[in-house]
This record gives sequence, C-alpha cells and structure tokens, in this order.
Amino acid sequence: MKYRIFAALVVLMAAGSLSAHHSTTAVFDMGKKVQVTGTLNRVEWINPHISIYVDAKGEHGVDAWHFEGSPPAWFRRVGVNKSDIAKAQGQMITVDGVRAKDGSLYAYLQKITFADGSTLETVPAGQIPEK
Amino acid sequence: MKLRFFTAGAAALVLVALAGAQQGSAPAKVKRTADGHPDLSGLWAYAVDLPAGGIKREVNGKVIVKQADLSNRRAPKGEVKGALPFTAAPAYKPEFQAKVKDLFDHESKTDPVFYCGRPGVPRIGPPRKIVQLPNEVIFFYEDMSGDTYRVIPTDGRPHREDANPGAYGDSIARWDGDTLVVDVTNFDDVTWFGEGGYFHSDAMHVTERLWLDNGNLVWQATVEDPKVLAAPWTVTPRVVKPTNEPLEESARCVEDDGHRLLNNDHHGQR
Repeated sequence: MKYRIFAALVVLMAAGSLSAHHSTTAVFDMGKKVQVTGTLNRVEWINPHISIYVDAKGEHGVDAWHFEGSPPAWFRRVGVNKSDIAKAQGQMITVDGVRAKDGSLYAYLQKITFADGSTLETVPAGQIPEK
Repeated sequence: MKLRFFTAGAAALVLVALAGAQQGSAPAKVKRTADGHPDLSGLWAYAVDLPAGGIKREVNGKVIVKQADLSNRRAPKGEVKGALPFTAAPAYKPEFQAKVKDLFDHESKTDPVFYCGRPGVPRIGPPRKIVQLPNEVIFFYEDMSGDTYRVIPTDGRPHREDANPGAYGDSIARWDGDTLVVDVTNFDDVTWFGEGGYFHSDAMHVTERLWLDNGNLVWQATVEDPKVLAAPWTVTPRVVKPTNEPLEESARCVEDDGHRLLNNDHHGQR
C-alpha cells in the first residue's frame, strides 16, 4: 500500500487550477487527496485531458492508477510537453492528486515528483502573482 | 570619410528612434494587401477557454511558474472600436426556452463539444491562422475535435447550391469598408452555437465580422435562426493578439469521464 489518502486540507489548493470541460467536482472528491508512488507505465497526450498511468504496489498485487490532467493545449501554454513527463517512463515517480468519487483508482493530477527530485505542480490562479 | 560614416550612422539612429516613437504613441498603421484591403493574414493567438492557474516547475531548487495567457478568450475590457451592440445571451422563442435551459442544466451530458464533437460556426470563434489571397481567404483552426479549415471565396460568387450541410456551413465573404463580412449558411442542426445549450435549426444563418484594431484581430458574429430565435443574436466581440506560435496538430480526443459524472457540474470550454 504505497499510496495514502489524506483528508481535506488541500481543497483550496485544488480549486481554480483544475477547471476545463467538466467541473472536477462532478468526478473527483476534492477532499480526498491521494499520493501514489509507482512506476510510470505510460503517458497519453490526448484531449480533453492528458492521462498518466502509474503502477503501484497494492495489497493484492499491482494497483494500476490513472491520473487525468488539463488538456494538452493548456500544458503547451504553460511550457510543459509530453516528453517532460514521458521521459520518466519506466521509472519510479510520485503523483499527488484528488481521487474520483466512484472510488476507482482514478484521480486528478496535481503534482508529479520525479526520481531526481524535480517536480511539476499545478498552481491555482490566485497564487500566481499578476504580471 | 570617418565623418561621413558617423553622419550616416547618426541619421540611421534618429530614424530608428522616430520609428520607435511612432509605434509607441499612435495606433499601428493597418497593413494592406495590393488590392487595398486590410491584410488579416497571419497567426492569431489561441483563443479557446483553458483552465486558469499555471504550472510550478522545480528543478535543482530553481522554481519557475508559468501561467497560460487567457486574455484572448476573455471578454475584452472596455469598448471595442467597430463592434456591433451585443448581448450576453440569445432570445429564444417562448416555446423553446425550457429546452435551452434543460440542455444547459445537463450540459455535461448533452453538449456535443463535451464529447469531442465539432463546435461549428460560430462557436469555434476566431481563426488561429488566416491566409488572405486576392480571391479567397482561408481560415485555419486548432480544435480538439479536429483541426479544421475554411476556404472562403471573396470574389463575389454566391453560396454553393450543391454542398451538403455541416457544422461549419458554406461561407462566402465580402468587404464592408475595412471589415471582412463572412456570410455562412447550410448548417446541419447537430452543433450548438454557444455553450449555454444554444441549439439551432438547419435554418441558422451566421454573419461573422473580422477587422483589425491596433494590430489585434477583432471577431464578432451574429446568429439568426427564424425557426427557434425570437431575434438575431450578436455575440461579445473577441479581440485576439497576433502571435508567432505556430499551428500544432491537436491531440486526438477521447472523452472518458462521461460515465463517471456524478452530477451536472460543468463550465466553459468553447
């Protein structure tokens, strides 16, 4: 059991950065923080949400986690390409997010920590200084 | 000899300074084609709704935060020169008002765009790239449903009579002074013309207007549909900045959340 589920402290962190398409609250429980450490299985750079698949050790074998994120057009405009994430394919990464309300191994991407300690993290608009 | 070089150099510097001062104080002069029309050609900023917020990237203790520029999708601040009067929402005939509300209330289940469908005209908004030729203009778009294009004659020919109806219809254009007026007909009734559940019939008629304002592209559309609308609706003008960002193929679209939606919450996209 490499992932842990936290309670609600990060609701405000998530709000604002996760909009697009459907409201994240329609699928995800913003209070159910999840952190998964496992092997980056694959990255799909698809619309309307990019997908990251992480295989983690579970109680009964491998837990295949699926994280979705903002659309590719958004990642492109905040300077992140597929290769920035896919470069870690086959390596251990840690992914933070909020878990789907249906209880499946499905979550909304908030932060990736790579094996070398570098990170990519979504930041709500209110926490970015105006230019 | 040295003096002459010096004089020429000084003159060049003065010219550069004057040119800079002119750019800074007066509105940019409209670039025109050989036939005298404003030249709308070029790349225009991506103007699709994207999530607010940004990405914080930390590498070796160095932190960079980058935020997407959403100004091209937001309603412009202040008056837009040349824009027609507009309203926030269209007026449907009384018998269709409940249907519009119901579609909007359940948008995440009923909106074709939610499930990777084509936004159609006018919902697709301003083009990402324009190529303006003497007898036609070509609009290119980036859209998750597929990167579409429109070839629009400007030589005075009428609408095609043999075209099949579609999401982007059949377009012809003419110049009204310095404004390109695009007349669009021959739609199917599959798309919405706005996110608010704005369904339409096959009788929809769209007029798009495009012009330059101080170096920016302004786009505004008017929707008429005598079958379902009580009056024509003119949308909020969109002001789009020029950009050097090249067109890029949109990633394929695979909607996988529809079956996971536990309520009707939704929000902006096109």
